Amino acid sequence: MALLQEHGEDARPLAGGQSLVPLLSLRLARPSHLVDLAGISELGTIVVEGDHLVIGAMVRERSAERHGDVRRLAPLLAQALPLIGHPAIRSRGTIGGSLSHADPAAELPAVALLLDADLVAQSSARGTRTITAADFFIGFFTTALEPDEILTEVRIHRPPPGTGSAIEEVARRHGDFAMVGAAAVVRLEDGKIADARVALTGVSGVPVRATEAETVLDGAEPTEEAFATAAEEAAKSLSPPADLHGSSAYRRHLAALLMRRTLKLAAQRAREAA
Amino acid sequence: MSTFDVELTVNGTSRQGSVEPRRTLADFLREDLGLTGTHLGCEHGVCGACTVLVNGEPARSCLMLAVQARGADILTVEGLATDGVMNPLQQAMWESHGFQCGFCTPGFLMQITALLAENPNPGEAEIREALSGNLCRCTGYESIVNGVLRAAGHDGSPIEPQH
Amino acid sequence: MQNIAERFTGASVKRSEDPRILTGTGRYVDDVRLPGMLHAAFVRSPFAHARITNIDVTEARKVPGVIAVLTGGDLDTLTVRGPGSAGMFAGNLPMPSFSILATDKVRLVGDPVALVVAESRYLAEDAGELVEVDYEELPAVITQEQALDPAGPPIFEDLGGNVLIHSPAATFGDVEGAFARADRVVRAELRQHRHQNVPMECRGVVCSFDPESGELTVYSATQGVHVARAGFATQLDMPLEKVRVLAGDIGGSFGLKIGAAREDIACGAASRLLGRPIRWIEDRSENLTTSGQARDESFEVEAAISDQGDILGLRVKMIIDTGSYPGLGGMLPEMVKSMICGPYKIGALSFESTAVITNKASYIAYRGPWASETWVRERMIDLIAKELAMEPLEVRLRNVVTRGEPPLETVTGRSLVGLTSRESLERIAELVDVEAFRRRQAEARTHGRYLGLGLATYIEAAPGPRTPEGGGGVLGPEQMRLRLEEDGTVTVFTSQMPHGQGHQTTLAQIAADEFGVPFDQVRVVVGDTDVVPMGFGTGGSRSATLAGGVTLHGARALRAKVLELAAHLFEASPQDMELSGGGVSVRGVPARALPLGEIAQAAHQPGRVPPEFEGDLEVISAYDGGEGGWAGGTHAAIVEVDVDTGQVRVERYLVAEDCGVLINPAIVEGQVRGGVAQGIGAVLLERSAYDPDSGQFLSSTFMDYLLPTACEIPRIEIDHLETVPLDADVNFRGVGEGGMIIAPPTVCNAIEDAISPMGARVLEQHLPPCRILELIGAIATER
Repeated sequence: MALLQEHGEDARPLAGGQSLVPLLSLRLARPSHLVDLAGISELGTIVVEGDHLVIGAMVRERSAERHGDVRRLAPLLAQALPLIGHPAIRSRGTIGGSLSHADPAAELPAVALLLDADLVAQSSARGTRTITAADFFIGFFTTALEPDEILTEVRIHRPPPGTGSAIEEVARRHGDFAMVGAAAVVRLEDGKIADARVALTGVSGVPVRATEAETVLDGAEPTEEAFATAAEEAAKSLSPPADLHGSSAYRRHLAALLMRRTLKLAAQRAREAA
Repeated sequence: MSTFDVELTVNGTSRQGSVEPRRTLADFLREDLGLTGTHLGCEHGVCGACTVLVNGEPARSCLMLAVQARGADILTVEGLATDGVMNPLQQAMWESHGFQCGFCTPGFLMQITALLAENPNPGEAEIREALSGNLCRCTGYESIVNGVLRAAGHDGSPIEPQH
Repeated sequence: MQNIAERFTGASVKRSEDPRILTGTGRYVDDVRLPGMLHAAFVRSPFAHARITNIDVTEARKVPGVIAVLTGGDLDTLTVRGPGSAGMFAGNLPMPSFSILATDKVRLVGDPVALVVAESRYLAEDAGELVEVDYEELPAVITQEQALDPAGPPIFEDLGGNVLIHSPAATFGDVEGAFARADRVVRAELRQHRHQNVPMECRGVVCSFDPESGELTVYSATQGVHVARAGFATQLDMPLEKVRVLAGDIGGSFGLKIGAAREDIACGAASRLLGRPIRWIEDRSENLTTSGQARDESFEVEAAISDQGDILGLRVKMIIDTGSYPGLGGMLPEMVKSMICGPYKIGALSFESTAVITNKASYIAYRGPWASETWVRERMIDLIAKELAMEPLEVRLRNVVTRGEPPLETVTGRSLVGLTSRESLERIAELVDVEAFRRRQAEARTHGRYLGLGLATYIEAAPGPRTPEGGGGVLGPEQMRLRLEEDGTVTVFTSQMPHGQGHQTTLAQIAADEFGVPFDQVRVVVGDTDVVPMGFGTGGSRSATLAGGVTLHGARALRAKVLELAAHLFEASPQDMELSGGGVSVRGVPARALPLGEIAQAAHQPGRVPPEFEGDLEVISAYDGGEGGWAGGTHAAIVEVDVDTGQVRVERYLVAEDCGVLINPAIVEGQVRGGVAQGIGAVLLERSAYDPDSGQFLSSTFMDYLLPTACEIPRIEIDHLETVPLDADVNFRGVGEGGMIIAPPTVCNAIEDAISPMGARVLEQHLPPCRILELIGAIATER
């Protein structure tokens, strides 16, 4: 962190390198210094603290994928991890690295947003601070981290009873970045929706919560019609980007489709969990 | 640019070098250590031709800096055969006509080695998914999948990475 | 003749290339290491079309470790301007004048403007960033409309405009009559999109000039070392004898790596200037952006048909986008015209074409360059079937040629003798059971699932039937040198340059059989202009016939020569000689035997050979392809279209193919599957996309240019048809390009069949998920 402070914007922290090194090779990023975080063992642990799962920023995605506590305490994260690239990417890529890189098509930022995760950052000058996921992703490949800060850990609260989650994405090929992805968490109480949350990737520069859908579903019966209506409503307000892989209309269509599907599956899992 | 000393184990032998921080592990293996078996197909982490094993796990060597590999135990394609005798995976690939131009081959062999170490008896769908991060332009993949099935079934015992 | 129990031809002999490939000890061009070797990197234009008003390399030259920075102007004084390797394909096309690297203007994004030579590739690229180039942007010519506009800025001023060549309608048969008596005319505008070869190994070269001898040694990855050598010699103004081209292992090419690229020549000139070896390897972005692209064609087609489904005649207008610097594109319409009627009884054809120049990568050869003829025709047949509410299979069976019955020639004059196209359709029909599929398809639709079946049939000139030029066509006869060595092995020297096809295995199989030694006693030498005979190299699907044939005949000739010498040594008659078990003996007298090696040694010992014995135990053979012949077949695909996401899954893919006599079935099948995979990739994933306003290339990384993976390509079922032998000895035919020619229409036909309930018509070849949803009306089409 001292190095980051010293070199400011010219220095970049190096976590797994799966996003940063290609930028170096393509000469799109030109840091004068790289600060290798791999040697910091405190960043590489997964611990359970009461109702929280605390994942060190340098935990490799593949390790998290295989970890029993992740499956138990953060099922949505466990569902998301195998969707990230390929095993050779996940053997090096880190949880913190992915979150800090904030690719709009990446899975982990949407998961963090949906789970209201707390992201803990630290700098040499100002010490530690906690940033909620809602405040963390502020723009296209941009987070709330200052140049001299690194992410040290992610804190995820275990889901309350009666909660189910699901994540689904549409990519051109297996393992590619999603064109659009949706993640949903549904909690049922007495057969009705007590809490429904859904996040989207690939429709904006940051992961977005589909709040229109969430509002409509609050207290509603968990029926297919309800999910379809909520998804359609939420999709209307989207202006997704167009690129080589799909038009804006296509992404909007996928957003509605995936919201509907993940809400339905999350509700089904919530029923099973009860 | 300043250089850093790197010491690591490659194919069971201790190796060292002095590198710029920006030098990739792939370039270090190919240029500094003369191990040209690891190939570069894209240099941005998509094609998988540069795959090696780092502490037993598959990694794209074009996405690692050599300095990140300090102290690591690396296995490359050159480390699969022993005294010029091909290992059972290589034999199985030979018998299955697995490859054509051979450029993607080292990456596939290392990824398959990792796959079989974790899952000694994979089904076809599992094989295809595990190999979906390695691109081949010549074969259409079927011959490679056949080779993996052959390697997995040859005598039932798993393929161990040599450390 | 063959005394050895095992026959290698026709068996899936394990490849002799594989031990080095599997152990990582192959030698690809980027693996070459020479003492004192330097590294090259190119500075490239960020603009599609611009004048260079100034170039300043002062800062770049100052970077420590940089040995030289050469501008386009510097290199222009060191090289000879010319059409480059494209000149091979030029025929009578207009050839513009241009320099090795851009001097006064750039004509595509990525056009090289300067060369940096440094101690490492990293440093060369560092210095490249410090080269300052001032550009004056010109309007980019990207679309066909822009290229056809006479007011548009000419990309090559000396050509005057961007229409390279317009060929007015050529007619064959009675076109007017066909359309006059037609019951109806089916019309379509069909668009084939730009995509490209993308071998896993990028282009590269090592050029090593020796100032003392004045010789240039080139380590290259090229499909033909002699063609590359001619390119270097011409453009560096050196005598051929002073240029040696070597090629080791090549990581795929598919038509990309032919001749000498502009960058190769630049490295050769720089090596000569500096007196040191220089290695260049492009990165993937350079490969995707500048190395060359293919398949950028559009067609207006009219088919005159009867209500019963006879195709009476075709009218075709073709426009091809040949990109910037000359490549194969200008010549392509002739090939398409010649092939477009395929194996069908189409009695009349009118064919008009225009080739335009644009600010895109050069149009180069890509595995079956003329493939659009098959795509257009097989798409039209399905559209005709739809018009008449007939099964596409029935329309094909109605129109396909029947062996032994007229017509015996296509309307463009190519012989149709020996075709098994009808048999391939019938075989596919057996394997697929169309009726059962239709029931399954109908049932699936009631559950909201959309399955489709597509077929397509093709022939390709691999090498094609014998013409006045011979069975090998315009590329001429194939030569080969074969020699018996003093250790009893046979060495075969060939101009073939395998880059995945396994010629070192297949040619050894044939030589072993025809000469009479075990397979591992034959060594096939490739890739050295000092040593291999003249020839085009590998390409055009001619190796099986031409190289296979010359191996067969050459091995027999060598065998005869060996037996002749042996007879002399035994004082017996050649008819009494027997070659088996690695030696020659007198028939019936096994005790009188000599190992082959000793016979070879005897040929070098003065006094042991007869006076009339010529030279060594070596022969040079040439073979013109004999009767040649077509390769071809029918492919079928069953796909499922997910109408929610637009994604397409190929559930089943079948091939009924005829490539003559198989030399090595596993190698044949590998070629077919690889070609099919590229065809599936073209339809579902691959596109070389340009921004129509700026000319920026949009598919410059593997995140944008998508290749199919193991999850996208299904198992491919291959049935080998019994072939019709046309030649007494050589009935091997090529198979390298076929898969890529026929797979795209097969898959497109299947997709249209799947989404036909929505009234969708597939008139383009690139069908990513977004496009599928547009075609079925699930989303609006946005541009």
